Amino acid sequence: MKSAVVAARRRILVFSGVGLLALFVLLTVSLTTGEMSMPATTALRALVGLGDAGDVLVVQQFRAPRSVAAIVAGAGLGAAGCVLQRLFRNPLASPDVMGVTGGASLGAVAVIAAGASQTLIPLGALGGGLLAALLLGAFAWRSGLAVTRMVLTGLAVQAGLAAAVNLMIVRFPAELAGSALQWTTGSVYGRTWTQVWGAGGAMVLALAVALVLHRRLAVLDLGDDSAGALGLNTSAARLQLLFVAVALASLAAALAGPVTFVALAVPHIVRFLTGPPTAASLALASLTGAVLLLASDLVVQHLLPVEGLPVGAVTATLGAPWLLVLMFRQSSPVQRSHA
Amino acid sequence: MTGVPEPNSADAGATRITGTRESRMTNQLTTQSLDLRYGDRLVVGGLDLALPGGAVTAIVGPNACGKSTLLRGLSRLLAPAAGSVTLDGADIHRMSARALALRMGLLPQQPVTPEAITVEALVRLGRYPHQRLLSPWSAADQKAVDAALERTGTTELRDHPVDRLSGGQRQRAWIALALAQDTELLLLDEPTTFLDLRHQLDVLDLVAALHAEAGRTVVMVLHDLGQAARYADHMVVLKDGRLAAAGAPADILDADLVRSVFDVECRVIPDPETGTPLVVPKSSAVRHSAASA
Repeated sequence: MKSAVVAARRRILVFSGVGLLALFVLLTVSLTTGEMSMPATTALRALVGLGDAGDVLVVQQFRAPRSVAAIVAGAGLGAAGCVLQRLFRNPLASPDVMGVTGGASLGAVAVIAAGASQTLIPLGALGGGLLAALLLGAFAWRSGLAVTRMVLTGLAVQAGLAAAVNLMIVRFPAELAGSALQWTTGSVYGRTWTQVWGAGGAMVLALAVALVLHRRLAVLDLGDDSAGALGLNTSAARLQLLFVAVALASLAAALAGPVTFVALAVPHIVRFLTGPPTAASLALASLTGAVLLLASDLVVQHLLPVEGLPVGAVTATLGAPWLLVLMFRQSSPVQRSHA
Repeated sequence: MTGVPEPNSADAGATRITGTRESRMTNQLTTQSLDLRYGDRLVVGGLDLALPGGAVTAIVGPNACGKSTLLRGLSRLLAPAAGSVTLDGADIHRMSARALALRMGLLPQQPVTPEAITVEALVRLGRYPHQRLLSPWSAADQKAVDAALERTGTTELRDHPVDRLSGGQRQRAWIALALAQDTELLLLDEPTTFLDLRHQLDVLDLVAALHAEAGRTVVMVLHDLGQAARYADHMVVLKDGRLAAAGAPADILDADLVRSVFDVECRVIPDPETGTPLVVPKSSAVRHSAASA
């Protein structure tokens, strides 16, 4: 059995290695391809400011921020899904199903509509995300968060907030209409370094806090009585973790809009590949989320016959059947249970 | 980040419970006119108890008499509706959760085992109250975990998933978690329920050894009167949330008490093995008339 633990550790190492490699390859591909293709070396040189001025401009100002935005947003979504599914002991919990990404998008759009500085977008998104979490709590908490009730309420909250986003976009001035795609379906098109640095910095901080709080998450897994007897203030710990998860998802939405599927699927993928959740799997969830979103963005850019699709369209297409499968598994009578 | 050194974090909890060193070490739990409620329902009422420190106390009583509720009240999981619970004179509901967790461990009746967690990973969680937010896993933590595994005979199982163990092994893993917490006081809620006789005795012998060798104070809810009389120095008998009797098993356990509390006619004889009181229910006329004829 010792070998089982060693094997689990090796799986995590291998998975991290493969993930990092995939991220590097995808990043290189995303920097080299586009309207104007270039060899990988040229692109990587241009990234650090060497070579033809045109290449440097394209790579540094257009491609790199878009790719980094996808990585940062994906990392946040993966970690947020991981924390939420464990916190609620519910494989359907994720910021897009709970309405948090919708709320965050609304907050971001409100900042844009008010004509405020772009640096305030992450803050607006965080406010919107928290608002959505409050709405969900108000509507769904009474029954102690039963699975179906939470999902249905969350989808309703998400739909309502998405409608509010549409309403505000309709009233956007013409020069902002182009960003409609981002806030209605989720997209990383046209990100700027200003946006990426702001949300990215905050995201690194939120990820660090999530990792520090992981120990509390693990103790909460023991149930309220055992956790309480170990000296954990369970209500406070839940609120802290919920806040961190909402922050992670909201910062992701500040960069990419209401991207679905990533946060829902990543924890399942990580669990399937590496086994029971640990602090390492929380970090891996970020990595997996980043790979998934960057890959999805490359798919919409290069592999689809239709041009100009937002990345949210791809993730939503994957996400809908995934959610259905999970819901069927949840309600199936043969769902395995350990006494 | 090196965090806070281990001895400091342990002291931080203990010093909150001010008082002389002696009174701090007795581990005496007392309740004063304790009322415990779930919503409107009064489960435990007007309870005045003194559970001796350094002893094994068994709480017994019929189903739904408030045994488990009392244990939750004693461990700060349920706030009293009235009255108070004190540990060596300090109100436990005024201590921080962490300060209490450094002194008192609890094994709930049906603990929640996280999916696929290994025995060692489970037992490691027992170190939670000893760790600061940023303190890394320390040598002292590992030592406590190893000792707890050793003590409960689960060292060879350390890498096994808990949810695939037998009931007896699982219970020992959970007791190991409580031991890794390294508290003077251990509360156990029906630790033998769902176990077969062999494993019941293993668990109770382990508890007895913890008391005898490590000097721990143990308070446990038990179902079986004979086991309670055998393994406890002090016995608390509850009926309908009120105190029916308290004292050494040999002093309080008699036929009248069993009749009034459990509604069972019986004889109480000395246990042929240990000399402690043994409850032998009166034979039912229907069941044994054929055999005795």
